[in-house]
Amino acid sequence: MKINLDDPNLTAFALGELTGAERTTMEQSIASSPEAQEFVAETRQLARLLKADYVADAQLPPERLPNVVAMREQRRLWSSTQWGSLAAALAIFAVIAAFAVTMIRREGGTFPQPGPSTVNLPVKAPLPEATIEAEAPPVEQTYAYQQPSATVPSDEKSEVPAAPPEVMADKPTADMKSYGYTGAGKTKVPAAPMKRMMSRNGVLEEGELPSRYRQDFNTATYDHVDENPFLPAASNPLSTFSIDVDTASYSNIRRFINSGSLPPKDAVRVEEMINYFSYDYHEPEGDKPFSIDLDSTACPWDPTHRLVRIGLKGREVANDKRPASNLVFLLDVSGSMMPAERLPLVKQAMRLLVEKLSEKDRVAIVIYAGGSGLALQSTTGDRKEVIMRALEELKAGGSTNGAEGIELAYKVALENFIKGGVNRVILATDGDFNIGVTNQGDLIRLIETKAKSGVFLSVLGVGTDNLKDSTMQKLADKGNGNYAYLDSIDEARKVLVQQINGTLMTIAKDVKIQVEFNPARVASYRLIGYEKRMLRKEDFNNDKVDAGEIGAGHTVTALYEIVPAGTGATDPAASVPPVDPLKYQSPNPNAAATTYVDPKRSGETLTVKLRYKKPDGDTSELTERSFTDNGSKFENAPADLKFAAAVAEFGMILRDSAHKGNGTLGAVIEWAMEGKGRDAAGYRAGFIEMARKAQTLKPREG
Amino acid sequence: MHSVQVEAVKIEGQEMDALMKRFERPLLQYATRILGDSDRARDVVQETFVKLQNERRAELDGAPAKWLFTVCRNGALNICRKEKRMTYLDQELLETRASDQPAPSEKLEAKEATGFLLRILGTLPPRQQEVLQLKFQNDLSYQQISEITQLSVSNVGVLIHNALKTLRQRYAQTAKDFLPFTPRIVS
Repeated sequence: MKINLDDPNLTAFALGELTGAERTTMEQSIASSPEAQEFVAETRQLARLLKADYVADAQLPPERLPNVVAMREQRRLWSSTQWGSLAAALAIFAVIAAFAVTMIRREGGTFPQPGPSTVNLPVKAPLPEATIEAEAPPVEQTYAYQQPSATVPSDEKSEVPAAPPEVMADKPTADMKSYGYTGAGKTKVPAAPMKRMMSRNGVLEEGELPSRYRQDFNTATYDHVDENPFLPAASNPLSTFSIDVDTASYSNIRRFINSGSLPPKDAVRVEEMINYFSYDYHEPEGDKPFSIDLDSTACPWDPTHRLVRIGLKGREVANDKRPASNLVFLLDVSGSMMPAERLPLVKQAMRLLVEKLSEKDRVAIVIYAGGSGLALQSTTGDRKEVIMRALEELKAGGSTNGAEGIELAYKVALENFIKGGVNRVILATDGDFNIGVTNQGDLIRLIETKAKSGVFLSVLGVGTDNLKDSTMQKLADKGNGNYAYLDSIDEARKVLVQQINGTLMTIAKDVKIQVEFNPARVASYRLIGYEKRMLRKEDFNNDKVDAGEIGAGHTVTALYEIVPAGTGATDPAASVPPVDPLKYQSPNPNAAATTYVDPKRSGETLTVKLRYKKPDGDTSELTERSFTDNGSKFENAPADLKFAAAVAEFGMILRDSAHKGNGTLGAVIEWAMEGKGRDAAGYRAGFIEMARKAQTLKPREG
Repeated sequence: MHSVQVEAVKIEGQEMDALMKRFERPLLQYATRILGDSDRARDVVQETFVKLQNERRAELDGAPAKWLFTVCRNGALNICRKEKRMTYLDQELLETRASDQPAPSEKLEAKEATGFLLRILGTLPPRQQEVLQLKFQNDLSYQQISEITQLSVSNVGVLIHNALKTLRQRYAQTAKDFLPFTPRIVS
């Protein structure tokens, strides 16, 4: 049947206005007409755009009607008093007060709320092409502190011998697979989400698509974060994660607190808070790209526990030694970017960066809104006037098609690729991708493909009420990139001027850390933060699994809270009920006897293993360090470690974490003051000030 | 005692504030479109909220948007009638009359505006703008719009259909003036 595209009923159908028989009839005619289907899809898209524009319009400076408020206040006053002139004066005051109150409420009321209140996009094409195939190399089961079979029955997974994966994938014979006991790397689950996933006990469970996978496809502003639990060292001796140099969560939290409210819990990523600060680690030796520092102290929020710090420091590169840079600014100029703290701030930030460039560097500007376009051809860094003028002329308007812009930006970056130089796309956006590929999963897959080209990515987040924090964090994560949130020009100066080399120059990529704990010394342990960076133990030696990058001069810090063995300290992991005994296997008879493989190692607390690749390399290198906790007290801890502990505890208090122990904001301030050190840039003082401000704020509901 | 009972059926306090916050701006835009002048529109919207304060809750019938737009519209039309301006009821004339809004590209130079589509929307006949605003800004159904505007439901349907058609055509066309590239709607 031929359908008339100029039928108002077709529009009515698209807008959900038809009901009953009319609707059924229309559905049937549309089903046979591709043009009609396209028309309906386009109409709905247009409706979404219109709605978005109306919403954006409502966020413009309000045309308030103070006189309405005035009339209400006046009536009230007049009915209760007859003091003419006084009432009038009061009324004026009331107008101003009411106006101010409304403004404040307006300011404060638009913060994004986490969780279920956000809209779920329809799940489209849920299975990405990339899968973890059976190529994962076997896990190195040569534990330092335990023999391979020395595991307790509570953890079937790690008992599975690391058989060659090919066998498990291609020949599912009468092995344990039939009972659901499967080995590493054999399930065809999408690579991207899979590798970040850990179930509650820290081990991936088969047959259950972890919830993070599903979260890849919604537009939730802040993804839900389940904190890492305490894990027993005997059954979970390995802890594996990817490094993270992002700092966005810290500046985002600061923005919330400065505007008078505590952040939503899921906006708090503790590792990004800790890593906002530089720590005084030693410089890398020889030609190593980074150094490793290990130290420990008593845990200040639970003195029976220990705190172990792993610190990495990337090699410093002098400003004049930075290789030639090929930069593409990918700037969101959509309508939502109009407010002063968005596009105008981005333009200011870009100007700061351009000032630091020289004739060997190149800059191009790609903008995107309803479509995308090249606003500035790749131009050498000495032609500052040309670049500045192009920046100046940018204006915000229209809706956002991020995907098209990303395509174009990478194309320009590749056309101007500098071999051996810095090749980087710098994306500045509020993350509101509302046309084109808006499905977060699709966007992230797009970026993942682009990252393979050797072009790195920096994501600069701006804006408040529609900051799509989770999208941007994932883009940076998958795009071999870093993510910073610009809440002010000062923050832009930190990221783009003071730490320009760290932001622009990647000195090692896919940096992974695996820690093995010695059960003789450690009853259980907990990694503080890094929830979104957890890897499976098998991923550590698998060079196909992507991980975080470290930039020149960057420091990366991870803290473990450890329950020492045999000291009678309360062990949160011990309260977890034991797992049922196995039906088809007997527990390894040697289990108890096989700990402490090497008597020389029996006193060690843990071993840290690190894998990384050179920025243009495909194979990883391994380094390893062992560490023995000397039981030192918190009073004697280095200032840096005290400060890191203060930041961690502040994050846990903001998250209202079950693991925050007996720490208070007051204690956080005290530790931070003790740990403030030289603080040349004043960042630590800023932290203390923020913690003081947080003391005056009420906790969020829920 | 008596007065307390009367108060309970009225809309007050936080609820009133919420309604004002939500609808003040849409109503202002709505009335301005009818009256062609924002000062009179302010008066009409103010009067609408004052009426809302005196209205019994039951009269709202759980649909404050419909109530507010109806009262606001009637207020604006009354002014039109009194001042013998071109009345909004003269549908045929309005359908064909070009909007006196400047074309988007001109307006852009005057003032950086928000939504791109909204600027194109300003070039549509006022009656079409009106129904689009009610539908997409205020999420009202065809039925509710019909009650507010005193048009038949099918009339509302035709207006929205035609408006979207024009909007779609002008979107690509006008975009060229604004952006240094041709945007496209990706469905």
